[in-house]
Amino acid sequence: MIRVTNLYKRYHNFNRDSDWVLRNVNLEIPTNISVGLVGRNGAGKSTLLRLIAGMDSPEKGEIIRDCKVSWPIGLSGGFQGSMTGRQNVKFVARVHGDEKELDRVISFVQDFAEIGDAFDEPVKTYSSGMKARLAFGLSLAFDFDVYLSDEATAVGDREFRKKAEKAFKDRVGQSSLIIVSHSEGIMRELCQAGIWINAGEAVWFDDITDAIKAYHGSLN
Amino acid sequence: MRTRTSWQVTRSVWHAMFMREAISRTMADRMAWFWMLAEPAAMIIIMVMVRTVAVGGSAKVSGADFIPWMIVGLFGFQLFRENMMRSIGAIDANKALFAYRQVKPIDTIFIRCYLEGLLKTFIFILFILAGSLVDVDLIPVEPLVALFNWLSIWLLGLGVGSVLSAVSSLIPEVGRIVRLVSFPLLIISGVLFPLNIIPHNLQQYLMLNPIAHGLELLRVDFFSSYRPVPGVSATYLWFWILPLNSLGLMLNLKFQMRLKAQ
Repeated sequence: MIRVTNLYKRYHNFNRDSDWVLRNVNLEIPTNISVGLVGRNGAGKSTLLRLIAGMDSPEKGEIIRDCKVSWPIGLSGGFQGSMTGRQNVKFVARVHGDEKELDRVISFVQDFAEIGDAFDEPVKTYSSGMKARLAFGLSLAFDFDVYLSDEATAVGDREFRKKAEKAFKDRVGQSSLIIVSHSEGIMRELCQAGIWINAGEAVWFDDITDAIKAYHGSLN
Repeated sequence: MRTRTSWQVTRSVWHAMFMREAISRTMADRMAWFWMLAEPAAMIIIMVMVRTVAVGGSAKVSGADFIPWMIVGLFGFQLFRENMMRSIGAIDANKALFAYRQVKPIDTIFIRCYLEGLLKTFIFILFILAGSLVDVDLIPVEPLVALFNWLSIWLLGLGVGSVLSAVSSLIPEVGRIVRLVSFPLLIISGVLFPLNIIPHNLQQYLMLNPIAHGLELLRVDFFSSYRPVPGVSATYLWFWILPLNSLGLMLNLKFQMRLKAQ
């Protein structure tokens, strides 16, 4: 269960504070339910995801995670450009304390990502699709209870998207997802519940379809 | 679900960071190892030349040969400076890794300084051994005290580095200024010229600099009849080391999220 209470977040830019990105957000996300975050660009979806991941700290309020939460699996970040794919994978495996399982993690990621010899090339030479494959494979190598995904599959090709979706469906029951995506098809397929973020507030919907409907309703 | 204690997490992070830094530091380009040895050697040759041309070998160091005297000072100073300079870049260079919430900005500084200390110690030992082959006497007379003072200089570098890394990430101009002053610092710390030749009224201000204390203490342990600058004190040095390290930790704790975000 991830519990968010009285969460406030804004950013500091040079000498002025931005408006509140998130205002008084209260959520309880059960571990066994996958959730999709919807809202317009800049509404604060990625911010909320980063806060849940512990990458950023809120101004006020708190987030309690009593389960294993992944880092946000997204396009950028999380990889050091000058290191090879293999070295990055090793680093993450070590950070997560799986020194004994290093070989298992590496071969798992190598098989899943299917990027061939590029696995031993620096990550800065990768295309965004290759990065996404690596990031996705890496996150699946660990047994997280909750996976956070920020458009993780958006740049992958058709075959990879299918593979990623299948990997997640295989895990239903053991782990759940919190995803930010503008592809509503993926959301409908993978998530049960939804959160609509609008004007700094987060509204919980037990059904993802209602969340998407509410979001669409606000656009008209 | 198996949860790890904070200490276990930190240990894993340190191990992972160390392996990463060690590889990128020593394998980054094919000449990395060569330069690690060639750079101090070239530095010593240049400094000896500057010194003989500028002073003509007239200003003697009391109680020690000039070349070993300068090599010890230069290595001590390099140990300090590398800790300081590498710490400044540490947070910026590892920005991508803060995506994993386990990794804190201070970890990058600890690991860089640790690695730098290991490398510099190793290279210094190589130079000491090479020196005794060519009859340049670099074997310390007080090895254990020398080790302690070597560690003190390392800690001073870590303290300054951890403070400056936080400050320069928040105020980028600070990093530039530090790069500018690093060479004058070498002169006023008494690496090239003994501070004994400087008039006393000026000397007392130069001896406010803790690096000079560290280097003089180190030289005393290397040369049996060496007479350091009056007023050299290990206590004074440690009065800088402890507050600087505390301040560095406090700054990193207070501004952790801003350091991660930038």
